[in-house]
Amino acid sequence: MSNRSLPRLLQTPAVILLLIWMLVPLSLTLYFSFIRYVLNNLRRPEWTTPSFSNWRGFGNYEFVLNSKDFLFAIQNSLLIVGSILFCTVIFGVLIAVLINKSFPGQGIVRVLLISPFFVMPAVNAVLWINMILDPVLGLQGLAVNGINDMIAGLRSTPVLGAFFSLWPEFEPISFRATQTSAYAVIIMVTWQWTPFAVLIFMTSLQSEDQQQKEAAILDGAGAWSQFRFLTLPHLGRPIAIVVMIQAIFHLSLYAEIEIVSRGNGNKNLPYLIGEFANNNIGAASATGIFAVILANIVAIFLLRMIGKTLME
Amino acid sequence: MAIVANQTRFGTYGRPVLAWVVALIFFFPIFWLVFTSFKTDADAVKPEHLLFFTPTLDNYLNMTENYDYWRFATNSVITSVFATVFALAVGIPCAYAMAFNPSRATKDVLMWMLSTKMLPAAAVLYPMTFITKSIGLFDTHFMVIVVLMLINLPIVIWMLFTYFKEIPKEIIEAGQMDGVNTWGEIKEILIPLAWGGIASTALLCFIFCWNEAYWTVRLTTTEAATLSKLIEGNRAPEGLFFGRLSAVSAAAVGPIVVLGWFCQKQLVQGLTFGAVK
Repeated sequence: MSNRSLPRLLQTPAVILLLIWMLVPLSLTLYFSFIRYVLNNLRRPEWTTPSFSNWRGFGNYEFVLNSKDFLFAIQNSLLIVGSILFCTVIFGVLIAVLINKSFPGQGIVRVLLISPFFVMPAVNAVLWINMILDPVLGLQGLAVNGINDMIAGLRSTPVLGAFFSLWPEFEPISFRATQTSAYAVIIMVTWQWTPFAVLIFMTSLQSEDQQQKEAAILDGAGAWSQFRFLTLPHLGRPIAIVVMIQAIFHLSLYAEIEIVSRGNGNKNLPYLIGEFANNNIGAASATGIFAVILANIVAIFLLRMIGKTLME
Repeated sequence: MAIVANQTRFGTYGRPVLAWVVALIFFFPIFWLVFTSFKTDADAVKPEHLLFFTPTLDNYLNMTENYDYWRFATNSVITSVFATVFALAVGIPCAYAMAFNPSRATKDVLMWMLSTKMLPAAAVLYPMTFITKSIGLFDTHFMVIVVLMLINLPIVIWMLFTYFKEIPKEIIEAGQMDGVNTWGEIKEILIPLAWGGIASTALLCFIFCWNEAYWTVRLTTTEAATLSKLIEGNRAPEGLFFGRLSAVSAAAVGPIVVLGWFCQKQLVQGLTFGAVK
């Protein structure tokens, strides 16, 4: 008996640690979300210490639901996550199918492709927003200037000049502005996570049934119908997993949003929580509970899927 | 087999060319970061020096002066290494128990561990600040190590579990016959056998710790601040310091990108929890 029980006891440190890590902060969040709790309030100093006597019921939730930032943050979270998922899955499938066959330098191509995934988020954002997307000094600004100069030069050519004089001057896009900062985040995160999708789809493609493929070719199936009727269904499950894992990661994007525009015109739920947490802890906690609910909806599906393959 | 070999013109020329173009596009921002890091701050913003300039190592040599790079790098190394070591110290016995002495609850425990990973960090932002400040651990290496270890523990256990499961049970049982106790089994049989798996788990855990950008930024100010915090603190130079910022960024990601090249395969397993094979 002791032969079995000691080994099983070995799980306990990990279980206890994770239990504390999950339960203690979360129950505090839950508690704070039901009380009035602010960090600074000169008129009501009693609100600055957490206590059951400041009970507010669902007041914080109501406050959060009624703030216009909340609706915006939800919409924006969904816009950002949805766009990133769409782009990474499309690029991921295309690139995985492209590099799945062997060709000269395949190993190096893989290494180059996977590299963005290991760049830390802060560097990713700093690099893109300054060196690449900056409207004046970044490559984007320089490229737009270059195009404008080229068009200006072509205007004076004899025949084509008339055509090019119809062209407008291009304006570089400022990605720090309120309307566009979300797109900057989408671009940089797509760049970072497409490699992840590629890697997973490639792994999955290697287990594709080659005999089935040969049979299809013998039957005269073209490249497109092979892709459409064999490869794509085979990738269904990995696509679902990529979507869910990324959804969980990207719902809590933070560093990129902070660096691009400090949340100006581009908030998501974690960012809104951070803003509330500067003073209104009650509201921050209520928003946190909403974020947990949102993440759980995705997580349940993901866990079910993983659970199926677990004990095979 | 000849049929399967791609004999179209696209297969011979188009595919490699296109693949290389895509790979170079994806790698370009990293290349550009390193490229810019060899320019002076003045050259970095001059269009006439976009491609041609006198390369300089000053940005790297002055990293300490400009950004106190080594202090942040040391913090990153300390916190990532210790978090990885502790995660393994807790994770190996746990994964061992789950792989070789599974109970009916094992599957549920594993799933539950994963679910802790899915909790949005921001939801517990203030409680964590509150707790760490009230026990006096805010901005300490210890706290960063503990948090990094906890957020990576589920992935570590999960990966180790999948590696351990592939070791035949008989080998471990043979050890029991020889009268080796549990610790002996782990130390003398399991660890040597699963060495490769443990190493790649450690590598991946180290990478995740190094790149972590929420808690390391939120739970530190100066003492235990890591490279993520350093870069985030210098986020928006508006063109003033592109050269030096590129150098310090390149120095922050360089070692990890190279490490990452060595564990691409394990990455799939680590990130999909074995659901994609």
